[in-house]
Amino acid sequence: MPLHVLLPLVVLGIAGITALLHLLGHSRQVVIRDADDAARMWRHHWPEDDVQSAQVAQDGHAALVQTAQGVGLVWALGADTSARLLTGATLAPCGAGLRVRLRDFTAPTVTLHLRPDEARAWQTRIEGHAP
Amino acid sequence: MTDQITFPDVVTLAVPFFIAAILAEFLWIHISGRGGRYETRDALTSLIMGAGNVASGLVLGFIAWGFFMVLWRVTPLDLGTSWPIIGLCFVLDDLRYYWVHRFGHRIRWVWASHVNHHSSQHYNLTTALRQTWTYTFTFMMVVRAPLILLGFHPALVLFCGGLNLIYQFWIHTEAIGRMPRWFEAVMNTPSHHRVHHGRNARYLDANYAGVFIIWDKLFGTFVPEQDAEKVDYGLVVNLGTFNPLRVAFHEWVAIFRDMAQPGLSLRQRLMYAVAPPGWSHDGSRDTTAGIKAKHLARHPEGRGSAGFTDG
Repeated sequence: MPLHVLLPLVVLGIAGITALLHLLGHSRQVVIRDADDAARMWRHHWPEDDVQSAQVAQDGHAALVQTAQGVGLVWALGADTSARLLTGATLAPCGAGLRVRLRDFTAPTVTLHLRPDEARAWQTRIEGHAP
Repeated sequence: MTDQITFPDVVTLAVPFFIAAILAEFLWIHISGRGGRYETRDALTSLIMGAGNVASGLVLGFIAWGFFMVLWRVTPLDLGTSWPIIGLCFVLDDLRYYWVHRFGHRIRWVWASHVNHHSSQHYNLTTALRQTWTYTFTFMMVVRAPLILLGFHPALVLFCGGLNLIYQFWIHTEAIGRMPRWFEAVMNTPSHHRVHHGRNARYLDANYAGVFIIWDKLFGTFVPEQDAEKVDYGLVVNLGTFNPLRVAFHEWVAIFRDMAQPGLSLRQRLMYAVAPPGWSHDGSRDTTAGIKAKHLARHPEGRGSAGFTDG
C-alpha cells in the first residue's frame, strides 16, 4: 500500500477510534470504593503483600496503602490501576493536589487530585514514613 | 538464484480490515455490554504502538532484508513459489514463530522487545496491534536463516510471516469464547491466546503458538484456559503509564540499568541481558519458576493442575 494512502488511513483510523471511545464514555477512570477495595487492588498487583490499612482519596482515584514493606500508592490508570511502594518518592504540591515522582521508569509521575487539606495530610503521612 | 520475486505486503493491506474489525468489536462490546473491555487511553497507546511498529519496519526493515538476501545468494537451493511450497513455508515459518516467541519470553534481551505486547491490562483487538518498535535489535531474524538456506525465497518467508501476524489479530478478543473442538485442538484460538496474555501464575510462559497450537502441545508449553480461573491480563508488574515511548523502551532501560550496577562480575552483567526475565544476581527477584513456586506455597491445592505440572 502506498505511503500516501497508508499514512492518512492510520492517522484517521487512530483518531476516529479514539474519539469514538471517548464520546461513548470509555475514558472514565476506575473508582476505588473503600479501604477494602484499595487493599484488594494492591494485592492484585502484589499478591504476596499483607495490607495493614488503606486510605482512599476523596475522589476515589487513588489510595494510600500501608504494607509491611512500607507505604504504597494505588492509583487509577484508566479503567484499571497501578500500584507502587513510595520508597524514594518525592512529593510536590501542584494545582491538582500532589505530584508524586517515583524512581521508576515505568511509573514516573502520578498526579493526585486531592483537596488542599487532604494533600497536606497525605504529604505528611508519606514523608513521615520516608526512610 | 531468482532475486526478483515479489509478494504483497499483506500486513499494510490488512490495515483497513484491522480498523473495521476493531470498530465492530468495540461496538459489539458497547452495545451488548459483554465480550471484553475498551478504555480510551489504553486503546490509543496500543494503536500508536501498532503504527510505530509499521514505521520501524519501514525504517529498519532493510537490515533483516539485507541479511536474508545475503543468505539467499549463499544458498544453492531454490524451492520456488508453487502453492505446496508456499504452504510448507507457512507451516515452517509458524514453527519459527513459536521458537522466536518462546525466546521472547525466556531471554530478557528478546523480552525487552516483546514485553510491550503484554503491557496492556486489557485484551481486545487493539491489543493485537500493540507491537514492538525494537524487534530488529533482538537479532531474532537469524531464526529465519534456516528457512532461507533451505531454499525458501526471503520474499516468500516474509509473506508467510505477514499472514501469520494477520491470523493472530483475531485471536486477541474476549468476544469469542471457544471455537469448535477440532479447531481448538489444532489452531491457536482466542481461548488459547488469552492464556498466553495472562499474568496469573498458572498462565505464565504458556501457549507461544502463532497459528498452530500443536507446537505448544508438542513442546510441552500448552496450558488450556480454565473456566475456574479468569485470565488476568497484563504484566507481573504492570506499567504505571500510557506513554508509548516508555512502553516501547522500558525493559531496555531496565536491562542497561541492571547491567551497569557497580560491583557485578562480567557473567552477572551478561546474565541480566540473556537470562530469563526476573533473574537477578542476588536472587531478589522472581523468574516465572519462582512466581509459580510462591503461588503454590500460598495455594498448594493447585499443585499438579494445568500450568503447575512442574511444581
